[in-house]
Amino acid sequence: MADQPILQKLDTLVADILADWNIYTTIVAGIVATFAIYSAVSAKDPDVHPFLLARQSTPSPIRQSGESSTYRSLETPYGFPLRAGLNVKDPGAPKWTAGRKGDLRDIWRAAVRGALNEDGTPTNTQGKIFTVLGRQAFEHSLSQVTQEINVIGHHLQKAEVKTVAVCLTDSVELLAALFAGAFYGFKTILVPHNLPAETLCAHLQTAQADALIAEAGSLDLSVAAQGNKQLSHVVWVAKYGNRHMDWHGVPEGVDRDIKVDVWHELVEEKKDLAGLDLPEYDPKEPAPAINTVWPSSSQSGKFIDFQSENLIAAIGALGSALPRAQRFSPSDLVLSIDSLSRSYPLCLMMNALFSGASIALNSVAGEKVDFALATVGVSPTVIIASSQTMSDYHDSVMQPQTGLVSSIGRWVQARTLDAGNMPSKNIFSQLARVGPTSELSLDKLRLLCISHRIDAPASARLSSKQLTDLRIYTDARIVYALTGSGIAGAIAQTNVFDYRRHDGPSHFGSPLSSIEITLTEVSEDTVTDTPEGQIKVSGPAVVGDEITLASRVRISKDNTVELCS
Amino acid sequence: MTIAEDSAPQAEVMSIASPINLIFASLFIVLVYWHFRPKQAIELPRGPPPTVFRVYTPKTLIEFNGENEKPVYLAVRGRVFDVSPGRNFYGPGGPYENFAGRDASRGLAHQSFDEEMLTKDLSAPLDELKDLDADQLENLQSWEDRFNEKYLVVGKLVAEGDPEAPKS
Repeated sequence: MADQPILQKLDTLVADILADWNIYTTIVAGIVATFAIYSAVSAKDPDVHPFLLARQSTPSPIRQSGESSTYRSLETPYGFPLRAGLNVKDPGAPKWTAGRKGDLRDIWRAAVRGALNEDGTPTNTQGKIFTVLGRQAFEHSLSQVTQEINVIGHHLQKAEVKTVAVCLTDSVELLAALFAGAFYGFKTILVPHNLPAETLCAHLQTAQADALIAEAGSLDLSVAAQGNKQLSHVVWVAKYGNRHMDWHGVPEGVDRDIKVDVWHELVEEKKDLAGLDLPEYDPKEPAPAINTVWPSSSQSGKFIDFQSENLIAAIGALGSALPRAQRFSPSDLVLSIDSLSRSYPLCLMMNALFSGASIALNSVAGEKVDFALATVGVSPTVIIASSQTMSDYHDSVMQPQTGLVSSIGRWVQARTLDAGNMPSKNIFSQLARVGPTSELSLDKLRLLCISHRIDAPASARLSSKQLTDLRIYTDARIVYALTGSGIAGAIAQTNVFDYRRHDGPSHFGSPLSSIEITLTEVSEDTVTDTPEGQIKVSGPAVVGDEITLASRVRISKDNTVELCS
Repeated sequence: MTIAEDSAPQAEVMSIASPINLIFASLFIVLVYWHFRPKQAIELPRGPPPTVFRVYTPKTLIEFNGENEKPVYLAVRGRVFDVSPGRNFYGPGGPYENFAGRDASRGLAHQSFDEEMLTKDLSAPLDELKDLDADQLENLQSWEDRFNEKYLVVGKLVAEGDPEAPKS
């Protein structure tokens, strides 16, 4: 009875408030309702369960004293074998048997066969290879390249060479030479193309190369021949513009008999003999090794003797590190603007070929290139670049050109990233892109693969903020990998769905499934929480099974790999 | 004057700052904040700290017999297994309790859980098992395989006075 007046008071209060309803109220109420509906409709589950990002690798339950636990990818936890190959299923093999590890020959065969349907029947769609020269892209069909593989392979096999040094810019010829080595049994050495003659000469000497494939006119044969008595064959690759010239001459001062051929003439002469079919091979016979040169501060670089197994393990692991929907597929065009003489781009390109994707090679590719210029000729869906290239581009172009409008767009898009979703293309993404990437034409881009060399200068390391900028301004997801000398592919790579933002340099995600990481020289204070120490990497992708690198690394709270500065 | 008095309430009614508008406006602000609120980063609890691999001698191993909440260890051919998950079998009161904290190789090979299968003298060299026949070795191997599958190797057993043995 006593609260009757209170109820009455309430009633009059509500009536009074409602009596104030006017046109503004209707507008405000409409806005509130619209926003509430938008908020409810646009709410999505994050791309990946947050728990998977909160603990990205598994530590072993046992450790040696002075060392940390051994950390592994979630795909291959402690007690399971590390990934060692591509799991190639031969036609006719029983359905549930484990596949073979495979080698480079299986990759080319898969590329030529094209992608498969769910049930294993070929789709009859082949990938393509493009070479980008400036603003133009030239297309090569895979059967044309097979022909070149056969011609060059035959030629060098007949000459009985064992070791072939390949000193080319990223090109179809470089790929063909690699595969020719795998099919016709000679070891290939990828020498970076921009070295001074003396360094190149020293490399040939160390590798005991008896044949050289190089760009016509790019180096002085008399210098190369002088220090290398074993060098007996040279194949020049002439650019389109200077094919009319006679490259057969041996310079004066070379007292030995060196056989000089020109690539396109060889192919022209012998293509009918060599045919378009792949040579038969016995999968049990191991494929020859591929050597690369790891750039080091001393300019000369260091030889890395990658065995076929190392590369194959890394190629398989890089593929499986991406979730199924994000893997390379026949609809992709993968462009590498990082040199194929580095193992991360090489392994990713091989994975693209194996998955039936099209690839694009750029002759200017390298560790330090102009991102905008290098990506003009084609419209790729995936770009492989180095951290140096990306941080240069961010600092010199994106950062200065971010105005007020793009900052607002960026702020809204960053909210979506924080919620764990990749922002879709909408008005805000258009806003965000107004300044920073207006010069780019990357409409189809969906994935950026960035690798950071563990011994590269700290200025090249990308911060979490830079990665967020790149995600927003290019509309692409990013994987950011850490590479080390002697480890094929990468040591660790971020989860493609990890959009979390934090201060300072970005982490490198979890180890790949082809390797495991142990930290040595760990102090006992940090060992249980965030161990910090020298990084020891072992597994099938590592040359000689185990390598300790000089850099110090930390495992952070979410079990991701971080470089200590 | 009357006109002014009449129109004054009219102006108040059309005011944008009426209580109901303020209520809706604050509701809108709350909704916007709720939509864009910063989200707490998820942190999973840490797992148990990893066990440190150690070198044991029979004398240091004997502590780990499962009494006083300690883990249960046993050694097979120089490898120390942490069999704590199978405490019901290997721990105090279990059928295999004699093996807890000891070198169990001979006992497992003989399929016998008796006391005399153990090396009594803890300072003696390790049992080299030279007198086992093929059946017994196979027996031992199958036990070892099972342990490998189920349990963690947490250390290595060496004899007292071995150069690898930790100095006490």
